[in-house]
Amino acid sequence: MVHKQEKMLSIKNLKAEIEGKKILNGLNLEVKAGEVHAIMGPNGAGKSTLSAVLAGRADYEVTEGTVEFEGKDLLELSPEDRAREGVFLAFQYPIEIPGVSNTNFLKTAINEKRKYQGLEPMEATDFLKMMREKMAMVEMDKSLTSRSLNEGFSGGEKKRNEIFQMAMLEPKLGILDETDSGLDIDALRLVSEGVNKLRNKERAFIVITHYQRLLDYIVPDFVHVLYKGRIVKSGDASLAKELEEKGYDWIKQEVEANS
Amino acid sequence: MFRISLFEFRIYREIMLVENIKAEFNLYKNQAEKSDFFLKREEAFAEFEKVGFPTTKNEEWKYTNLKNIVNQSFQSTCESTIETELMLSHAFLKDLTANKLVFVNGTFRTELSTIIETDSSIVITTLAKAKTAHSELFNKHFGKYAPIEGQGLNAMNTALLSDGAFIFVPNNKTLTNPVIIINIADSTDVNVLCQPRNLIIVEKSASLTLVETFYAVGNNPSFTNAVNEVYANENAHIEHYKIQNQEGESYHNNFTQIFQEANTNINHVTLTLSGTLVRNNLHFFMNGQNCNSLLYGLYMPHGTELVDNHTRVDHAFPNCFSDELYKGIMMDKSVAVFNGKIMVHLDAQKTNAYQRNKNILLSNEATVNTKPQLEIFADDVKCTHGATIGQLDEEPMFYLRSRGIPADVARKMLLNAFADDIAERIKIPELVELLEQEIEKKI
Ligand SMILES: Nc1ncnc2c1ncn2[C@@H]1O[C@H](COP(=O)(O)OP(=O)(O)O)[C@@H](O)[C@H]1O
Ligand SMILES: [Mg+2]
Repeated sequence: MVHKQEKMLSIKNLKAEIEGKKILNGLNLEVKAGEVHAIMGPNGAGKSTLSAVLAGRADYEVTEGTVEFEGKDLLELSPEDRAREGVFLAFQYPIEIPGVSNTNFLKTAINEKRKYQGLEPMEATDFLKMMREKMAMVEMDKSLTSRSLNEGFSGGEKKRNEIFQMAMLEPKLGILDETDSGLDIDALRLVSEGVNKLRNKERAFIVITHYQRLLDYIVPDFVHVLYKGRIVKSGDASLAKELEEKGYDWIKQEVEANS
Repeated sequence: MFRISLFEFRIYREIMLVENIKAEFNLYKNQAEKSDFFLKREEAFAEFEKVGFPTTKNEEWKYTNLKNIVNQSFQSTCESTIETELMLSHAFLKDLTANKLVFVNGTFRTELSTIIETDSSIVITTLAKAKTAHSELFNKHFGKYAPIEGQGLNAMNTALLSDGAFIFVPNNKTLTNPVIIINIADSTDVNVLCQPRNLIIVEKSASLTLVETFYAVGNNPSFTNAVNEVYANENAHIEHYKIQNQEGESYHNNFTQIFQEANTNINHVTLTLSGTLVRNNLHFFMNGQNCNSLLYGLYMPHGTELVDNHTRVDHAFPNCFSDELYKGIMMDKSVAVFNGKIMVHLDAQKTNAYQRNKNILLSNEATVNTKPQLEIFADDVKCTHGATIGQLDEEPMFYLRSRGIPADVARKMLLNAFADDIAERIKIPELVELLEQEIEKKI
């Protein structure tokens, strides 16, 4: 029997702007459970904007289009509800929040999600056990958890912390916004392995990256090129290799020629 | 005709409290024996008559209008009729293992107080008792630090002080437990005026942890006008915490003068949780080298409350360090005033002085007036200051919410984080816990 994959995320003709500046110009994307989609594109194409719009950042105004997540209108939900429905964004630039401890933050996040699902708070011992496991997965230093959220973390530690949080929160859809930038090769491998361990039939990923390098580790099912706020080309993993060799200019020329 | 009578009425009302004070002093004067103490008070009363209450014309009182206080009549030394147990049930930190001095409407209450210190060389008593039992110390220090000239409210306190704590820690002694002074204003029956006066003497290489709490019961207005004089001799160390949580219509002014000899360390935290009008005057004078003065404050007024923190740090000698951080969480239509003066005297080379005031407005109708005042006469110094007033940052809010934490929980986490800078200066865990609970309750 052929297993029919569930449609998880469906973005149709999405247009968004900030301060009157149009950034997303009719973007379409479908993601099914179990898939990994890579989104590549030159700087300023709108990749981070797409991830921010999906996570619910208020600064961006969606002027047209729809986003459905598991049959629900995602754009109607608050950022916290999106998260508790299973959307997770690993930020390109994770911020520091002094005075909020990493551990307390994660415990709150997990228990708020459980509350939303009608579950009891997690047992303290289970929580600690889970922390230890997931921290080991990304080789995050134990001392970091007792510190304030990202405060004084190196660039790489911040990125690892994002993946650690993702592992703790077990989302259905993980969006990784240039998680590879600022990581050295060892950290990149670790983080990728972490992501690969989280890959399964029910979970999907959107991996935003500038470089093919990350995709050697996290092998995508689909690769899309985002340019001027639209997906202008889609293909399989080989498209990423092509982009690595030839850069983006040929895509830009193709787009200009067609318009 | 009508207009004139209204005008006269207004004049009459404005001097109401002044009249109370005069009547009270005359009563005292007729009974008192003519001691040095009496002469000091008479002098103070004359100064009070001369300068009166500060008005908003005075630059130092520009944003803090006392008209609601001086237009009312208050009675001092009135008895409290509330059951003592009920009264203490409201008090903060009542279960703290500490030496406890309880004053109700300015009067010492022996039955509510406990001294657990066993070292008999350490004195923890009332000012009234110390005046005779420790007259030498009393006369040496009383009225020597808190200025009276031009300070109507200090003068009024000196002239008509009710009572207060007297603490003396001799050379090389350290108290095992803190001293907590619990001040209760009970305005159940009448408008009440309390004028506590504390004298704290910490001798060479001695140390003390002192907690002052203020709270109010009763539905009538209360007015607390307190003066603290703290003397720290060489190498002394003092932890000083002031917690104000006076609900109802309560007005509070206090003046704390801390006088530091060389090599002393003072850590002071003022927590203003509630009060209709609260004016804190906190002055440090560094009278020797290598002093550390740490001044921290947190205020979170709601409704139409006003909190005014006026601080002054006098760097009079070289190589001293002062660090000041006051933080405000402003709700509703509340008003905050911050004025931090740092005086670096001519000889105070190698001074390090830092000052910051940070405010979060949780309402569009709250107001903050903040003013740093640096007066630097030495040339080799490091001084910085800064003030911020703003809403809770959007970025951290979004970060927390994007992890599934609802907006109201995220807000609380961030406000707790904001207050944490002050909480971490407090070295009594019970007090930190209490602060966290109060923040939880208030926001
Ligand atoms: N807050 C903002 N205000 C104005 N312009 C913005 C803002 N954020 C992003 N932009 C602009 O939107 C475009 C897309 O940015 P972004 O989504 O970050 O691109 P990418 O992640 O693909 O590099 C860029 O031209 C950027 O300058
Ligand atoms: Mg980006």
